[in-house]
Amino acid sequence: MIAEALKGKTILVTGSTGFLGKSIVEKCLRSIPDIKRINLAIRSSARRPASERLEREVLASPAFKRLKDQLGEEGFAKLAREKLGVIEIDLGRDGLGLTEEARAQIRGCDVVIHSAAAVEFDNPADLSAQTNLLGAARLVEALKASGAKPHLVHISTAYVGGMLRGLVREEAPHDPGLNWRHEAEVLTNLRAPVEEQSRRPEILNKLRREARSRMGPAGTPAVARTTERLRERWVKDKLVERGRVHATAMGFSDIYSFTKAMAEQAVVELHGDIPLSIVRPSIIESALDEPSPGWLEGFRMAEPLILAFGRGVLRDFSGLPDSLLDIIPADFVVNTVLAVAANPPADGKPHVYHAASGGRNPLRLRRVAEEAQHYFDAHPLRDRYGQAIGTTMWTFPTRQEMAARARTALRAVEAAQWVVERLPLGATVSQLSDDLNAERERLDRGVNLIQLYGVYTEVDCIFDTRHVTALWEKVPAAERKTFPFDPALYDWTHYFQDVHFPTVVRMSRAETAEKRGKQPTGSTTPRAESSSVKAAIDRRAGRKDVLAVFDIDGTLVETNVVEYFLYMRLRAQPLEDWPLFMARMLREAPRWLFLERRSRAEFQRTFYREYDGLDYEVMKRLGREALDAVTLRRVYPEGMRRIREHKRAGHRVLLLTGALDVVVEPLAELLDVEVDCAHLLVKEGRLTGDLQSPPPAGEARASLLEEYATREGVVLAESFAYADSLSDLPMLEICGTPVAVNPDARLSQVAGQRGWRVERWKMAPGNWRLPMPDPRSPEYREAVRR
Amino acid sequence: MARPGAVIEVDRNTPPVLFHFGEGIRLEKLPLGARIVYPPDPLDPIAHPERAIKRALAKPMEDDPLKSLLRRGMKLTIAFDDLSLPLPPMAAPDVRQLVMEEVIDMAAEAGIEDLHIIAALGLHRRMTEDELRHIVGERIFSTFHPDRLYQHDGEDPENNVYIGKTAEGEDVTLSRRAAESDLVVYVNLTLVPMDGGHKSMSTGLASFRSIRAHHNAKTLLASRSYMNPPDSALHHSCIRQGQLIEDTVRVFHIETTVNNHAFPAIASFMQKRETDWTAQDQAMFLATKQMTDIAPVAFKRNVFHAMRAPYGLTSVQAGQVDAVHDQTLDAVRKQLTVRVEGQTDIVTLGVPYLGPYNVNSAMNPILVVCMGLGYLFNFYRNKPVLRKGGVLILTHPCRYEFDAVQHPSYIDYYDEVLADTTDPIEIEKKYEMRFAEDPWFRQLYRKSHAYHGIHPHYAWIWAAHAMEHAGDVIFVGADRDVVHRLGFKCATTLEDAFEMAEQTVGRYPSVTHLRMPPIMLADVE
Repeated sequence: MIAEALKGKTILVTGSTGFLGKSIVEKCLRSIPDIKRINLAIRSSARRPASERLEREVLASPAFKRLKDQLGEEGFAKLAREKLGVIEIDLGRDGLGLTEEARAQIRGCDVVIHSAAAVEFDNPADLSAQTNLLGAARLVEALKASGAKPHLVHISTAYVGGMLRGLVREEAPHDPGLNWRHEAEVLTNLRAPVEEQSRRPEILNKLRREARSRMGPAGTPAVARTTERLRERWVKDKLVERGRVHATAMGFSDIYSFTKAMAEQAVVELHGDIPLSIVRPSIIESALDEPSPGWLEGFRMAEPLILAFGRGVLRDFSGLPDSLLDIIPADFVVNTVLAVAANPPADGKPHVYHAASGGRNPLRLRRVAEEAQHYFDAHPLRDRYGQAIGTTMWTFPTRQEMAARARTALRAVEAAQWVVERLPLGATVSQLSDDLNAERERLDRGVNLIQLYGVYTEVDCIFDTRHVTALWEKVPAAERKTFPFDPALYDWTHYFQDVHFPTVVRMSRAETAEKRGKQPTGSTTPRAESSSVKAAIDRRAGRKDVLAVFDIDGTLVETNVVEYFLYMRLRAQPLEDWPLFMARMLREAPRWLFLERRSRAEFQRTFYREYDGLDYEVMKRLGREALDAVTLRRVYPEGMRRIREHKRAGHRVLLLTGALDVVVEPLAELLDVEVDCAHLLVKEGRLTGDLQSPPPAGEARASLLEEYATREGVVLAESFAYADSLSDLPMLEICGTPVAVNPDARLSQVAGQRGWRVERWKMAPGNWRLPMPDPRSPEYREAVRR
Repeated sequence: MARPGAVIEVDRNTPPVLFHFGEGIRLEKLPLGARIVYPPDPLDPIAHPERAIKRALAKPMEDDPLKSLLRRGMKLTIAFDDLSLPLPPMAAPDVRQLVMEEVIDMAAEAGIEDLHIIAALGLHRRMTEDELRHIVGERIFSTFHPDRLYQHDGEDPENNVYIGKTAEGEDVTLSRRAAESDLVVYVNLTLVPMDGGHKSMSTGLASFRSIRAHHNAKTLLASRSYMNPPDSALHHSCIRQGQLIEDTVRVFHIETTVNNHAFPAIASFMQKRETDWTAQDQAMFLATKQMTDIAPVAFKRNVFHAMRAPYGLTSVQAGQVDAVHDQTLDAVRKQLTVRVEGQTDIVTLGVPYLGPYNVNSAMNPILVVCMGLGYLFNFYRNKPVLRKGGVLILTHPCRYEFDAVQHPSYIDYYDEVLADTTDPIEIEKKYEMRFAEDPWFRQLYRKSHAYHGIHPHYAWIWAAHAMEHAGDVIFVGADRDVVHRLGFKCATTLEDAFEMAEQTVGRYPSVTHLRMPPIMLADVE
């Protein structure tokens, strides 16, 4: 009935780069050999023309693997050339931006399947309205304008009725008393006022403050960039929020179902004498059998939930355990659509079909949780140590309770993070700060999932499928095998255990297999993840134009400028003067901490004033002594190893630091590497406390490095940078291989976002000493006497 | 007359015995029938060290009196042993100070102006000024430091000269100053039979090139033990090198020995047998035990490392190296030897807080092995106290800690080499040159206070003989991860260790506890 009816027909599919569209095209190509032509509505994107998008975004998809295997690459290419055509259609423009030729092609179509949609639940309001609502309306109007009367199959969603209870009938949408034109106008015009609002002083100042608190030490350009990024995100968040609130206010669960409902109204109102069928799938999940079991593209609704469960992120979930979770495999939707396409409404009235499983093969939420538990108990996901992650039993609290719980936890974590970021401890708390980051991400995701999908687990309705069933009964037995779409045909346990869960796990690339080779035994920590940096060093071995630039304080040595100063000053004064000196330093400490947090450069500048009036030669000698007493005791052995690896590979090594020459140069000399550090002005043999040039921090560091690279013929894109603090961000950014060593909380976040390598280097255990000379030492006493 | 060493059999009345445990102590009950070997009591020291020194210099053995060798205008160099001896460091004045002051006075009388004093530290670390001052004394330090009192640098390309090859093909190098001197006076302190003799010059003033001739796994495995020079391939090699040096430069050897009075009065319970403990000793033991159980490591270390030993001079001899060293060895053996009958299945040892290479720093895991399986195990003559295939049980906390200034190459050795293999011969093949020639370690050795890059390997092969000889090695009370990295086993208590050992040596094993330090030399029949 289906293949026969579509024989010799030309069909047009919109949204063919999407999951469902692609599946429909594939099924037609494979199972309806006599179809005349399949036109794909594709819009040229900024990057590629429509024809290239067909190749790269449709035909290259694994959906066509089965066909390619059957026909061979050659045969498939031939089939595609014969049957497939591209029509450039832009649903975002009135009249669809059609050329004459395209209009002619549209006139030749017998069936139009409209599957283009912005399916994310959390899209900004204007985007959803444009694509889902106006797109559909424009399509219908363009069809009418062309004078053609193809059978229009509009793919909607089962949730267009909003959150209903009881039986949802297969009939034209209720009129909720809304005018779709008006709604479309309201939603699409939201962006401009929101954009405007985002530039108001109170908002912009708030965003700038946040940017500075996050990126302050990295310098003005970085702060400006962050502010703009935050503003864009703010705008998007606002639009998402406006959309969500608007949809909820109108009685819908989210902007997606709201715009889809409006779209149904629009097409019903506009279709005129074009035969119209509406297919409303419920939640579409991976294909049961075709083109291959578990065919799925992109993560849809249930997948994040399933993974979150397997990973232990979601330890509980809200919902009504006995509510129906209406999931339908993608291939069943495809077949329903084709069956509908083959059966245009006889009476000219729009006909509605529910592609849903609830009526025929109900699936309850508790069953899903049990299936998931069963599956992940048998095939657990593994954490980064290769240890299996256990599953938890869901208790199904209410959504409000759940959300409140998560938000409280989130607030606690955020508060802890606030404290940690402000602690003057640097790398010592980095582990803690990383853990907090991970925990916050986990909670964030949990809250998000609850917000987005919570309602779908509290559905108390059943979608009526009488029309679909009637259609199914018309399908002759011979064709039922080729086009199955009766949900009673499969078993949920089979679907989840053998098809869907394995697909989700495979697509997430989560670690499931036990690792081969050496395993952490519990008594050994996993090896430091420096292998890829080492590989990069090896790859660039022997190149003279590669530079490895290292920050010193906190990156190579666990010290800071204060500790050196303390050591050198204490070394130079008798024991009885120590308390007074220490008291003075302590009094200044809070001010320095505050400055440090705001800007490294400001801090250094202020701190170096302390050197005013000290004898340069004496400080040089003391700096040399500090090498043994402070520096070498606190170096990171891994850092020293890494420098030597670079030198062995023939790279240039540069120490770039804001620390003073008197303490840094002895180390550089010992390492036999170049150094760029701060110098104080010397007047008549005494230090003045003024810097010779601005402190190399923040963006100054990057420009310094760039200048160095040009002068010395170094290729920065191939170079390595090692640093520990956010003030080094510009320097890390311009090097090809940035490595965050013992990053502070803020740099750690940035490094995580950008996928930079993070290494933890530690002092050799048991070497921590106060940065002060041993007062019992005769050497010290004699030196002071002198 | 000092009491000789003794072997006591544990019976019902034997009190628990002291085990050294790093910067701590344990009191352990040994099974009935086990033997405890105690070192001899300290010999009576020479009453007037200065006089004895003067006498030795005036009447040297097989050589002319020192005075007659000194003449105006000559180039004179004094070389002396570094702070790896004696252990713990000697309470001031150090014997070497007394000897050197005497020699310098004589040189001054002779009108010698070109006099250099070199710390013969081989590939050991440079000493700090305070440490140097402690050995040579304030007078010498303030007069000669830093221009004419300095430390040997085995990696200085300018100031080491190649002398030649021995009959066995061993390269020999020497400090340029020493090689070009008219006379070298070597001031030695011998604590154990391994020290002194030809080894003084051939390691103390040498470079890696000549030291690697005998500091290698093969030689060490053929030295059974290096505490008994006639049986030691290490010493045979040193003698060959030393003879070549004696042919090149005139060396006048002054060797001194001290008794084994290693612990000051405050820790006299460590010096005494448990049966001899007075009420005061017991109180001191309890106090120490309490302190070490609860105090932070850094604090304990400070307390322990501040201890100075009240060593007494037992002999001083000068002159030609072989004649002098024979006497020296006699004197040392007289102090240290204990006769032990037969080998046993299990030997227990307490590893103390201090070895030759961690003066004023932490004893890192590699040095624990060097001390326990190296030095302590090798204090024997004829045969080890442990039977071949027996089990060696050591007590030491074996923490994962390294002194970053003194032992930087140890960190890499532990992190990279021992993670790969613990077999001394394999390590030598794969890693010897990498560590010996590492420019960073070379810099630290020359400019800072670090042991030479190759030194962790030497510490490791010092234990090669014990690793090969013992069927199993069990550490009691140690950090488990660390012990596993070292390739040994770990037990929580001594009882557990015995239980584990029975898997290797069978039920009812014979047990011997070597109650060291104070050190002793087990003469096993």
